[in-house]
Amino acid sequence: MAKDLILAQSLLEAEGTGARNRTGFSVLGIKKVFPLLPLTIFISVFFFWPIGAVFINALKNNDGSFTWANYQLLFQEPYNKAFYNSVKLGLISALTGAIPGALVAIAIAQNGSVRLRKFIASISGVLANTGGVPLAFMFLAAFGPEGLATLAFKAIGLDIYGLGFTLFSFWGLVIIYSYFQIPIMVIVFMPALDSLRKEWRDAAYNLGASNTQYWLRVGIPLLTPSFVASFLLLFASGFSAFATARAMTVGNISLVPLIIGTLLDGNVTVNQFNLGYALAMGMIVVALLAMIPYLLIQARTSKWQH
Amino acid sequence: MSSNTLQLKGLSRRFGNVLALDDFHLSLGVGELVALLGPSGCGKTTALRIVAGLEREDSGQVILGDRDITNVPAHQRNMGMVFQAYSLFPNLTVEENVAFGLQMRKVDKEKRLKKAHELLDLVGLDSQSKRYPHQLSGGQQQRVALARALAFQPDVLLLDEPLSALDAQVRTNLREEIRRLQLSLGTTTLFVTHDQEEAMAISDRVGVMSHGKLEQIASPDTLYNEPATAFVAGFVGTMNRVITQLKNGKVSIFGQAVSAKPSDLTEGEVIAFIRPEKVSVKTAGAGANATVLTRSFLGASSQITCRTTDGSIIQALTGSHESGELHPGSQVMLDITSDEVLISHV
Amino acid sequence: MATLKKKSISQSISGLVLLLIGVLIALPLVGAAEFSLRDGGRAKHSFKSYAWIFQQEDFITNAVTTIEIAVVAVLVTFILMVPTVAWLHIYGKRYIKFVEVLTVLPLIIPVVALATGAALALPAWLQSTKYVLSMMYVVLAMPFTFRALDIGMRGVQLEILVAAGRNLGAPWRAVILKVITPVILPSIFAALFLTVALSLGEFTLAQLLHWTTFPTWVAVAAQGNILGATALSVGSLLTAWVLLFSFTFFDRKKTNHQEEE
Repeated sequence: MAKDLILAQSLLEAEGTGARNRTGFSVLGIKKVFPLLPLTIFISVFFFWPIGAVFINALKNNDGSFTWANYQLLFQEPYNKAFYNSVKLGLISALTGAIPGALVAIAIAQNGSVRLRKFIASISGVLANTGGVPLAFMFLAAFGPEGLATLAFKAIGLDIYGLGFTLFSFWGLVIIYSYFQIPIMVIVFMPALDSLRKEWRDAAYNLGASNTQYWLRVGIPLLTPSFVASFLLLFASGFSAFATARAMTVGNISLVPLIIGTLLDGNVTVNQFNLGYALAMGMIVVALLAMIPYLLIQARTSKWQH
Repeated sequence: MSSNTLQLKGLSRRFGNVLALDDFHLSLGVGELVALLGPSGCGKTTALRIVAGLEREDSGQVILGDRDITNVPAHQRNMGMVFQAYSLFPNLTVEENVAFGLQMRKVDKEKRLKKAHELLDLVGLDSQSKRYPHQLSGGQQQRVALARALAFQPDVLLLDEPLSALDAQVRTNLREEIRRLQLSLGTTTLFVTHDQEEAMAISDRVGVMSHGKLEQIASPDTLYNEPATAFVAGFVGTMNRVITQLKNGKVSIFGQAVSAKPSDLTEGEVIAFIRPEKVSVKTAGAGANATVLTRSFLGASSQITCRTTDGSIIQALTGSHESGELHPGSQVMLDITSDEVLISHV
Repeated sequence: MATLKKKSISQSISGLVLLLIGVLIALPLVGAAEFSLRDGGRAKHSFKSYAWIFQQEDFITNAVTTIEIAVVAVLVTFILMVPTVAWLHIYGKRYIKFVEVLTVLPLIIPVVALATGAALALPAWLQSTKYVLSMMYVVLAMPFTFRALDIGMRGVQLEILVAAGRNLGAPWRAVILKVITPVILPSIFAALFLTVALSLGEFTLAQLLHWTTFPTWVAVAAQGNILGATALSVGSLLTAWVLLFSFTFFDRKKTNHQEEE
């Protein structure tokens, strides 16, 4: 296999180098990676440039001079509260997604039925991408005063509205978010469970480990990194979510994405615009804090999971 | 030595409508290395896994020494098992892997690491003790797996096709190492494989299996020279198959009348089995006419493939110095050098 | 035997867990579906509300807008990603890791932040066309499209096939048409399917860049008719599910190859 690849590469490269040498274009080897230019330019224009602009403009005043003021504002009311809320929302919705999601993934792995797995995989795929307006309206319909869910709870003796329940609250958001957090967890955590080879369990039993000891010494240590990574992904997802939050709040919950949305809608005074960039930068920093460990863990554990 | 005898009595196991094991019996003496040999699906791995306690039998017993362990859970059977591949725990270092069995038996850290190093030394991997499995080659991983299985001095060593995933050269070296270790430690060993050369090379006895049953169990020599059934004859080593007539307990091979075994089959057309080394190839003399198709030089011996006048292809194994002048197209006379052949129905 | 008895206990526990969570997940969906089928109170049910969205006068305009945006996104993805990833596999294997990291970045950055930057940085002429959204969607989809193409090409070892084709005397045009394209067609479809799905449902960027697309229009229109809005939500969810389900059936043939290494 490896031999074929090397042979193929050399065959193709031999074809290529002849022509390239003839044109004499060898400065910095740019001619070699010429085909990567379109992609690089595209990403630079539509990704790096916007991000860079956010970074730079957050440090600017209206007159263009350098300032830390925008960032400093982030630590003051009401923006620090917004960050606090967003982080809290991210963490809690990650938890309400990670635990049931992991349980579902474990249940599927234990069960072993391929049909069940396919079924759950396709539902998860759809629900994980459900957000924003559709999701909001579904919950409003089901949990409205006349909704089926409300009535179902009434039937088992729980008057949820009497108990002060409302979807238009922090905890309402947490419940709605779990609708896509749980499926995301199932999708992202499943591969980790699959990577637990049968041989390890057999070998552990054979060497004298009871079921508990196997999980304690082999199973759980192997699953933990993936669990943490998945949790981080869920956090980033809950923290950054915009559409659903916007559909569900009537201005009563302070979240960073929503504030940015308001600012971008133009309902601002002039010097608040640069604040929007600081807020955006703040979001990027928080997201990076979660996603970089996520990527690192994924890269490391793939070495085990051949 | 805590090594023990092992007996499998009347083991049967069915998966769906496939009968994987059919009233299977086997007995291993202390310190014996017995191989279970057969094509995939013959039941050898099922038998091994039942002995290990990783699979449940439908009926039958497993007896270790004088104890019936049929209902003893896997983790209490005190057997060391080596799997085909990927069985080392990836989150533990090599030495932690090897020490695992001792850790489960509550041996304290210092003692079990010491024992782990002893065993790693035996397999020549002591220098790798602090590494992780994914940093080792396939052959190295299997040696660690072997050390791990033997570290806690098991009653029985079980090997489930341990060499199948390895390169040819590594395979040959490792099988020798397995045998050497097994002999020096005196551990009773059950070795499952589909590679007959492997089984024959290192075992005290080999059991050939087919469709859940034991066709024959005997020493490699016996298996090779006195195969009990057509299946065993064809499976072990290379075999020529010649269609001939049975009459009065004799068959005609290359123009010669030779005793047939068993001699009491219905007279008429039968298949005769002849080993290549029992076929003599001469440029003159008595025998059947044939043309040489190829001569493969194998070192001390050469394999001559010939076509007889009736079109059958016969393989002969001769000393290279005897067949030096033969080349494709040479005319030769084939003869058989034994006075008895194994036959079976067509 | 102890281990086997444990197995059946854990099987029933896992079954229970699945059932419980399944009910919790189904509840909002079923509730919403029931709600959407109501025709004047809880007593009567019909599909009336499902027709609502189609009856809105801006329906066609906005649907077309979104479709146009999606089409451009798909075209750009195809022209940009397919040749690039193919080149990487044939000539530039050592750069794959780098490009992989590059294309993962859009996943890390919150869309809101990206939208903020886009609103600020992109020149006015670019932002005056709705197709700026297409470009952004190409970026958003990149982690998935790259992965789909990469895995597909890796699975067939494109570089060997191309070398074989060249060796057998095929000119480059024939290689592209007869060797590369047919073989990676499934992956191309997967990548484009992902792009379409993303484009049709994307809300945040469209909203923050002040474009009216189907999703953003629905958000406003739905305020006035909760029954219709719910019907639309349930309908689109079920449609997506049916599409995905049927897609996995077509996908069955392809997945077997990758496991054999």
